[in-house]
Amino acid sequence: MSTVQSDPSTMIRSNENPLIRFATGAGLIVLTYVVLYALHAFQQPRALTSYSIAALFNNTAPLALAAAGQAIIVISRGFDLSVAGVISICNVTLAVYPMDGPGGAMASVAMCLAIGGSVGLVNGYLVAVLKLQSIAATLATMIICQGIALVILKAPGGAVSEWIVYEMTDRIFSVIPVSGLVLGGVVLIWLALKRTSFGISIYAIGADETSAALSGINVTRVRFLAHVLAGCTYGLAGFMLSAQTATGNPTSGTPLLMLSFAAVALGGTALTGGRGGVFASIVGAATLILLQKVLFSSGVSSFYTGMFQGSILILAVVFSSLLARLGDTK
Amino acid sequence: MRKKIIKSTAAVLALSAIAAGIPGLASAQDGKKFKVFLSLSYSGNAWQSEAANIVKALAQTAPYDEMVELREVISGTDPQAQISAYESMIDEGADAIISFPISSTALNRTIKRGCDEGVLFFMYDATVTESCAYNVSYLSSGFGENSAQALVNALEGNGKIFLSRGVPGNSVDQRHTDGALHIFNQYPGIEVVAEYYSYWDDRTTQQETAKALTANPDVDGIWAQAGEYGAIQALLDAGDRLVPMTGENSAGFRLALADPDMQAKGLTGVSAGSPPAQSGYAFKLAMEILTGQRELEPMNIEYPLPWVPADAVKVCEGDVYEDGCNVFPPEMVPSSFVSEVLNTDLLPEVNVESALNGTPVPGATIQPLPAEVTEAANLPGINCGSCEAPENLYELTKVEATVQP
Amino acid sequence: MKSTSKSSSQEHNLAQTGDTRVSAKISRETISTLSVAILCLVLLFSARLINPALGSWSQIETVLVLGFFLVVLSFGQGLVILTGGLDLSLPATITLGGILATNWIGAGNPDEWYLLPAVLAVCGLVGLASAIGVIWLRVPPFIMTMATSIIVASALLGYTRGTPRGTAPDMAVALMKGDILGVPAPIVVLIIFVIVGWLFQSRSVYGRYLYAIGTNIEAARNAAVPVTAMRILPYVLSAICAGFVGIALVGYSSGATLRMGDDYLLPSIASVVIGGSLILGGRGTFLGSVGGALLLTILGTIIATLGLEFGFRTIIEGSIILIALLLLREELFQKLRSLKS
Repeated sequence: MSTVQSDPSTMIRSNENPLIRFATGAGLIVLTYVVLYALHAFQQPRALTSYSIAALFNNTAPLALAAAGQAIIVISRGFDLSVAGVISICNVTLAVYPMDGPGGAMASVAMCLAIGGSVGLVNGYLVAVLKLQSIAATLATMIICQGIALVILKAPGGAVSEWIVYEMTDRIFSVIPVSGLVLGGVVLIWLALKRTSFGISIYAIGADETSAALSGINVTRVRFLAHVLAGCTYGLAGFMLSAQTATGNPTSGTPLLMLSFAAVALGGTALTGGRGGVFASIVGAATLILLQKVLFSSGVSSFYTGMFQGSILILAVVFSSLLARLGDTK
Repeated sequence: MRKKIIKSTAAVLALSAIAAGIPGLASAQDGKKFKVFLSLSYSGNAWQSEAANIVKALAQTAPYDEMVELREVISGTDPQAQISAYESMIDEGADAIISFPISSTALNRTIKRGCDEGVLFFMYDATVTESCAYNVSYLSSGFGENSAQALVNALEGNGKIFLSRGVPGNSVDQRHTDGALHIFNQYPGIEVVAEYYSYWDDRTTQQETAKALTANPDVDGIWAQAGEYGAIQALLDAGDRLVPMTGENSAGFRLALADPDMQAKGLTGVSAGSPPAQSGYAFKLAMEILTGQRELEPMNIEYPLPWVPADAVKVCEGDVYEDGCNVFPPEMVPSSFVSEVLNTDLLPEVNVESALNGTPVPGATIQPLPAEVTEAANLPGINCGSCEAPENLYELTKVEATVQP
Repeated sequence: MKSTSKSSSQEHNLAQTGDTRVSAKISRETISTLSVAILCLVLLFSARLINPALGSWSQIETVLVLGFFLVVLSFGQGLVILTGGLDLSLPATITLGGILATNWIGAGNPDEWYLLPAVLAVCGLVGLASAIGVIWLRVPPFIMTMATSIIVASALLGYTRGTPRGTAPDMAVALMKGDILGVPAPIVVLIIFVIVGWLFQSRSVYGRYLYAIGTNIEAARNAAVPVTAMRILPYVLSAICAGFVGIALVGYSSGATLRMGDDYLLPSIASVVIGGSLILGGRGTFLGSVGGALLLTILGTIIATLGLEFGFRTIIEGSIILIALLLLREELFQKLRSLKS
């Protein structure tokens, strides 16, 4: 896992050539998504209706948010397996303790953020303060969270508050999907965060921890907060998932675990840390979801969709890392 | 460097081109054929593939081979993926969707939208609570309580038992176990010494039973959901002794029940459980509605509970269940083959090859289904949304208690 | 300037006080391996408090047989992690080994002597493919092996058309159900495997090469380590181990299913990490991984006997893994060492 990153500030250097910046940033995955979407619309004209677009956003939102949180941890050179646990707990909590109306929805969002934040707090303590390996610590917390979810709700059931279910999957002015607005909000917060010293520090500790520490960054605090932030994002993912499925399922988070990593990698974020972005990972998640639909419309035999998905994953990662290295060698 | 980029670009574009070019059947409409989708979630175990194969075989049997365009879609265990698949199928103009839903509630809104567009939704084995969908399931027929009572009878009301369950957090497992515990709790002499999740898999059952046996080597009986043959293997590994067992209908288990050597070691019991044939029944019902031969409003339809006690097991000689035979020999099927995939009343057009490979029987034609459909009892949260369970929910239908609590 | 720091605790080493010369002779890896072993024994014997039948020889036998699969897997996974990678393709390769064993070979096949190694070779090819992707295409191991897993699983789904058929090869059944001089065969094979694995990783030149690559790949290259070949080797070995486990599983339960490998992925990583390996590579021993694997198996066996609801059992399982990780961590050893002197 050797990288040629040395000094953190050079990592964040602004490259002169806008084409390279485009290619090494989220540009590539956005381009891929647009091409894929064009293909999808060509195969299935009904995809361009505002209903279908909203449905796609609704379907994408949970994975996109999970990938966003995962990206934060990956950038800081870690792994976070607890995404599955947080989402499951949030989902069953919303289904077992529904709170009605818009006020109830705000309280529910706060509850999800609190659940995710607390798990992130525990993870942050274990990884940043006690120096446990992130993959191991978050594996343990994931298992514990799974258990908590099963204690709250033994088998699928419960009902999420109707207000949340209808409003969060609806469209404003019958055009703009609410879930899209949520995603947009998260992206904006991230773009703002990226410019703060906290945001830069996350990249720095992922690129080269020793140098970061020597240049005055409080590695422990940054890593700790990164986990809390990621946890809150997972909570939000659980909230959006509950809005779409309308019920509680104690294992609802599990499918999103591996997919969150795939989305992050697809978006071009290196798993060795120090580069990449939340926006790119969100688009990576969107690409995975869209890929399902494109493969469906292409008539690929159900048995072999896996082969396509795996190959495309490899191709996309190869392509984006090639471009990234092209940017480096300049 | 540049070469590599060019190569990769070419590869990506080529892949997209292939994807686009693949039988651009997506929107091709053949005016006459019905578009039927088979939507699976889980895949890769014998039960799921046999159920899918039966539908595929039926769709290729005359006259449906001319009338139906069947497409199988496997979504995996992620409810989001199945929601997305349903949306795509509705957009493609599906006439009917025969499906094994991954969740009893998460898919409801998509199903409702599909119903509004005139799509028929037929769920088999697993159910949904959306009222516009048809559920064809044996779930309400009381597998849990009936098999539990049979075990209690075999143990004469006293003994230590294992509970081998399914997948944690799953409503089918919960319903079965609730029914079984309802019966076991009535008998103070019956003690559940170990309860474990076997994920409806032979191997996991074997491993979990082995673990339970280390702590409780003197078990007297086992109540098992699918994967029961693994429990027999674990018992044999541990001490070459068997106990009364109830389970589902794997070929391995049924053959063991009828095997004199196994019986001599103490095996007896009942083979019941989930029949993959439900998929074929659902498909034929859907087709009869589509072709106008039947009028049926959305409802929950009960598929009868298979019930084969040890003394009723009979090995088949041919490739269908005739003369009362109910299990195929080991030369024909592996031990994990789920036996209740054929049904002489409801599915006379298919044989064991259809179940194994999805091939139609040469020369067969679709036979009409019996006119009567049995309505299933309400199972709140499983096959109906806001409804009440009937008072006689755990009423025994296949056995009677020979021992009083 | 190369980044060689694998753990920020090394910064704290600069501030270390106390004379640790004596205690430093005991390598940290010996300490972590011993600790895992002690934890295993503690768990085994405290199990007696729950149920007198536990902690007995028959439980130990069951644990060793059930743990066999995880131990073999943790060898391959451990080697991959040692060189700084991660192998997520284990589930699919296990299934590949199992399906090929039942479909190509089956029971009563006189050719199984050379067909079984052929199955292992095919699995090795899958590992080779992953290695090629990681080394030449520079795809991160996490993604490459995940993609390989998806592709192989899909290929198997298509190949079997969803219905795996066939029976277990005789040798596989003999391996898992037979006896060698009165001891269950899996336990004998397990002991032999552990010895061979330990010799390979800790005592052979190849093992040293792998440690070198995991610590600092440039330095290894400069030291004339055959870096490329040594980077390919772990993936191939891991895949072969997984294939072997698939064959063994088929022998154990007389059949193959398409999901048979799924449950072993996270436990294989957990075993290696609990056993003291660093996920970034360069540290860890096979004996430690063996300890981790057995610890998880014992834990699973004990948890299974608790009469609690599944949710609570899961919480307890996760908590004990967490406690194990906390007890086995780096800083604690440092503190213990400075205490000793």
